[in-house]
Amino acid sequence: MLLYSTRRLAGAIPVLIVVAAVVFTLMQFAPGDAVSMLISDEASDADKARIREAWGLDDPPLMQFLNFLGNAVTGDFGTSFKYKMPVMELVLERLPATIELALAATLVAVAIGIPLGVLAAARPGSLWDSLASTFSFAGISMPNFWIGILLILLFAGHWHLLPSGGRAPWGMGVEPITGFLLLDTLIQGRLDAFWGALKHLALPALVLGTNMTGIITQLTRASVQEALHEDYVMTARAKGLGGMRILWRHAFRNALVGVVTIIGLEFGALLSGAMIVETVFAWPGIGSLLIQGISSRDYPLIIGLVLIYTAIFILVNLLIDLLYTLIDPRIRIN
Amino acid sequence: MKKALLSLLATAAISTTAYDASAQTQTDARVAVAITETISGYNPYADPVVLLSNVWCQVYGCVTRYDFDRNEFVPYLAETVQSVDPLTWEIRLPEGAKRHNGEPVLAQDIVHSIDYLGKNPSSGKSYLVAGWSKVEAIDDRTVRITTATPDATVPDNLAGVAVTSKALYDQMGEAMFRDAPFGAGPYKLDEVSIGEHIVISRNDGHPMLSPNNPTQIMYRIMPEPEQRVTALANGEVQIAQSVPPQLMARVADMPNAQIATTNSVEMMFLAMSPKTHPWDRKEARQAVAHAINREAIVRAILQGQADLLNGPVSAGQIGHDPEFTGTYDYNPEKARELLQSAGLEGVEVTLSTPVGRYTADRQITEAMVPMLEAAGFKVTLDTPEWATLWANVQQGKVPFYYMGRGSMIDPSRALHQYFATGGSPRIGFSDPELDTLLAAERAEFDPAARDEKMQAAVRYLVDAAPAAFMWQHKMAWGVSKGISFQPRPADQVNGWEVFVN
Repeated sequence: MLLYSTRRLAGAIPVLIVVAAVVFTLMQFAPGDAVSMLISDEASDADKARIREAWGLDDPPLMQFLNFLGNAVTGDFGTSFKYKMPVMELVLERLPATIELALAATLVAVAIGIPLGVLAAARPGSLWDSLASTFSFAGISMPNFWIGILLILLFAGHWHLLPSGGRAPWGMGVEPITGFLLLDTLIQGRLDAFWGALKHLALPALVLGTNMTGIITQLTRASVQEALHEDYVMTARAKGLGGMRILWRHAFRNALVGVVTIIGLEFGALLSGAMIVETVFAWPGIGSLLIQGISSRDYPLIIGLVLIYTAIFILVNLLIDLLYTLIDPRIRIN
Repeated sequence: MKKALLSLLATAAISTTAYDASAQTQTDARVAVAITETISGYNPYADPVVLLSNVWCQVYGCVTRYDFDRNEFVPYLAETVQSVDPLTWEIRLPEGAKRHNGEPVLAQDIVHSIDYLGKNPSSGKSYLVAGWSKVEAIDDRTVRITTATPDATVPDNLAGVAVTSKALYDQMGEAMFRDAPFGAGPYKLDEVSIGEHIVISRNDGHPMLSPNNPTQIMYRIMPEPEQRVTALANGEVQIAQSVPPQLMARVADMPNAQIATTNSVEMMFLAMSPKTHPWDRKEARQAVAHAINREAIVRAILQGQADLLNGPVSAGQIGHDPEFTGTYDYNPEKARELLQSAGLEGVEVTLSTPVGRYTADRQITEAMVPMLEAAGFKVTLDTPEWATLWANVQQGKVPFYYMGRGSMIDPSRALHQYFATGGSPRIGFSDPELDTLLAAERAEFDPAARDEKMQAAVRYLVDAAPAAFMWQHKMAWGVSKGISFQPRPADQVNGWEVFVN
């Protein structure tokens, strides 16, 4: 397994280089100008030239890219034009917030989508089935920003139950240890702070997980239904096993490989969706950072973040591949 | 000529807002402000965004500030700011001015700050000190600035100079901004979370503060208007910046908050570059000014939340002439006649507009299209992404566009930038007579005389019509009923102007 993982990770290096090259090239052709966006509109041409030189933007594009690659090998993605800080430092500061949000959204999606999908598959044509279909299609088709604003209006504006945005109450006083706020509050035994952080996480996680919930519900329903028609299920029934046991131990477990695959793939989509959700909820993660980077043409920040996104996606899919061996003993990694 | 422009005692300048400290118990209430713009880091010189610059002025102290009650620039950290002769200004620091860590504020700190602003690549506001040929410390309390040409805008520019410590910078370099942000302003820096929030806390004993100014203020980025308004309703913030017209009624109906409005000092205009056809013809430019039914747009789209402009400035700004009612009424027939007289009827033009940058920008320009077509133009509406449009405007590549220009309490810098020969390529307008008028206002140090000269420049500019001046938006703020805060025409939330009820 270690050899397999090492080989997979080594294979990711060319992927990352290609992604960096593509993003860099696209940015060269993209209209707009970092210097115009990031200094005052009153700056003179001489000021702009001075800053362009300081940022290395007057070097030939190939040299800029090779410089970037050379530094990136050592983990240095350059300095953000906008924030005047090393990109890596900015990313590491905000990455836990995005991962925490994405994991919470995945948890929401799995906790709702799998039981609903299994229930719908077990009773096709029933009220549960119709409910699952309606719910999942609504989840897939409704845009995140719209649900987000709607839920903010209801839960924060109307019912005053949850905060409208941010990651934590002001002055919560929890020292960052891991960067994962829920975890840090628990480590420090601060249940009040844990509750505060959880309330801030609830709406963005629910919104971000909506789309994934719909997809998981649909896929679980289809996979379990297919499994329920397999010979081994008929055998199990003939042996007199109970309906719930057949459903969960046999049909669902065999359907799980497909569901886990889609969870892995959807995790990538979740990270993309986080850009919108983080902006709507003022969530301080790398998604909103990327949006700010793009709108200000902060090239080092954009490339750095896209590479981080790519690396996360590769890692998650490696983990999913490794997970297959636990779910299905017939699968061997070599 | 030795004419003192600003020789007021700093303590006198703040007396209008200061309360009798002995009579009240100090509040421990905190106030959160939902803002729209970025928080880009610890460096007070990096980001030109007005609201953030103002936060840095509260922490470090800026040399001057604009007093909206007196309608003039007054000393802030300085004791006096005076012109010694047309090319020389002198800044005098008060005796015993101290930073939050107890170290004295010295003239060398001002020189260092100006030097950093002008030369350091991290500075995003070098334009403030452009044209200052020499800045020197005469003694520990006196700074002398020599300008290349007579420049009456120096007090305006000094309002953007946050005074940081030279000694600390020499010792720590850029790390000083994060690890030792000791200023001499009424608030201290508590916390910065880049791209998220900034927290400042009261510098007790500062003469500008009263007991019921908030003990802590958090400026928190909330880019979505719905979220800012909801956070206000939910009690998460006490002040919400920039409430759009469609949400004002909701705030007004809240039991815990209300709307407070002020006019902005941002001119909204249609720029027409005379370097391109048909804008090389004055008749075409004037036809645009006559073709737009501004009253209808303000009434129907902006829901009354804007004041029409007769020129680039309005009441309260230097150069405003209440007698000057403008020359361009809504007159589509006259617009058509002007276009016909120039043989330009049916001429094709492209109107470019940002989307989401200014209030209802897209809806406004969509409404302008049929108005312009009624006058005889054939119009295509172009809606590029802001970064693309802005880069092209700055390079002079956009012939006809809808735009705003803020920071115009003193409009001189903006008018020079957009309309003086060589000011910038954005419009590419060049008229020797206007250049002369603009140079004259900038060299005039007597406020009344300068006002008259600016008025003359404005009248000439309006007639030449390189831009059709539209309106100034009214800026609506949501304010909790638990505090008193009257917003000012610039995007500023000063702690000493927020009172906890």
